[in-house]
Amino acid sequence: MFLDPRAIILCAANALLLFLCLLVNSSLASLSLYLVLLGPMLVLPALYLNHRSFFLCTLFTGLWVDAALPVTFGLFTCGFLAMGTLIAMARIRFRAEHNYHPILLAHITNVACLVLLTVSEGLAYISAPAFWLQLLITALFSHAALLIVAPWFFNLQRLLFELCHTDTEPDEFPIL
Amino acid sequence: MAKFRLDKFKPIVALGVFFVAWWVVPTLSKSFLPFVRLSFTEFQAPAWIVASYLDDLESFWARRSHSKIELIEAGQALARQKAFYQLLDQRNKTLETEVMRLESILDIPSRREFRYEVARVIRRDLNAWWQQLVIRKGKDYGITEGAAVIFAGGVVGRVVEVNAFTSRIELITSPNFRMAGSFEGDIRPVVYQGVPQSGFGSPAGEVRDAPQDLIANTQDPLRLVSTRLGGTFPPGLMIGRVSWLEPGSTGIFQAGTVQLDERLLSLQEVSVLIPLNPLNYDRDVP
Repeated sequence: MFLDPRAIILCAANALLLFLCLLVNSSLASLSLYLVLLGPMLVLPALYLNHRSFFLCTLFTGLWVDAALPVTFGLFTCGFLAMGTLIAMARIRFRAEHNYHPILLAHITNVACLVLLTVSEGLAYISAPAFWLQLLITALFSHAALLIVAPWFFNLQRLLFELCHTDTEPDEFPIL
Repeated sequence: MAKFRLDKFKPIVALGVFFVAWWVVPTLSKSFLPFVRLSFTEFQAPAWIVASYLDDLESFWARRSHSKIELIEAGQALARQKAFYQLLDQRNKTLETEVMRLESILDIPSRREFRYEVARVIRRDLNAWWQQLVIRKGKDYGITEGAAVIFAGGVVGRVVEVNAFTSRIELITSPNFRMAGSFEGDIRPVVYQGVPQSGFGSPAGEVRDAPQDLIANTQDPLRLVSTRLGGTFPPGLMIGRVSWLEPGSTGIFQAGTVQLDERLLSLQEVSVLIPLNPLNYDRDVP
């Protein structure tokens, strides 16, 4: 099959996570709090899907995020593909069926997303202490939320696999 | 010795090909990536609009749960407010007529007129990297890029992106936002610019190029208002209050922090000012 049907499920789950995250951010705006929960979107596609499906799923997710946020178009499309490829190439080292490794990867990729955002959008403000203070609060808050959100999100994705009667095991490992 | 396989480099090769394509495609077709972005944005817009209408429905049902006595009291309060605003409206009309009469006597060039389009805020994106709002009106209501956005407390920002049913607004707190202003009772222009927000306390901005003779203090803060310079905002709209001015980096002018309205962070509705006679920079600017 050209495209693993799980790629569509993962894309839909990613779109849902982004939508919920932006809804929460909109409500938290008066408290000056902001959540960046982009890390979990990359993990299961890279760990579960074959290369072609992973590429399409991550490409679509990146375009979706780029269109939703006021960033330079292509920032997350290219960033997600680069990060996802690194995870996919090393996926033999991770156990996708339990949450420990995916959560760890979600935190690492989320930090990478924060760095990517700061380098792309925040270089003009690096001399402002207020910018760094808010960035620190955002990072701490996001990663605290990720401790709860990431396991829920991965379990939801696996549950969707079962509900849609698709394969619940990761695809074949890459040849090393 | 294990056979050397090139298969493991397939993801890297695919990624490399994609990066090259991403770099080459815009040079071949400049409209391709904007088209992709627009398509994805428009595809997502209905979800936000539906969420916003569901929010309105929730408010409606929440109000329905109020008792009749509460509703009657609210109606009485509204009737009093209405009577007060009707009086203000009469006075406003008299003053407008007077201003028009004086303008015709003094032969002052006509002012820019605006149409007010009230729009619901459906999303707030306020963080370290950007400070923007999304409203539930777009090209369908004639919103134009660059249009001024205001609320009851003064200036909100400027429209930076217009889609079919939604528009994106750059908030006044954003470091990318800059406008001309003046202090109330002083016609000399100053520059207002947003600054990165710390996230603690009320939102703030920065004023530059303030004349040396202006003095501000916490007891009597200066009110910074919009001017008609730039043509985007009508004059006299509140930007914020300045309670401290100090010599700027040049030493010729003063600079200070502008305290903005706290309601900016939790706006529900805003008004977009759509110019009735849009500026044509080729024709109108000398």
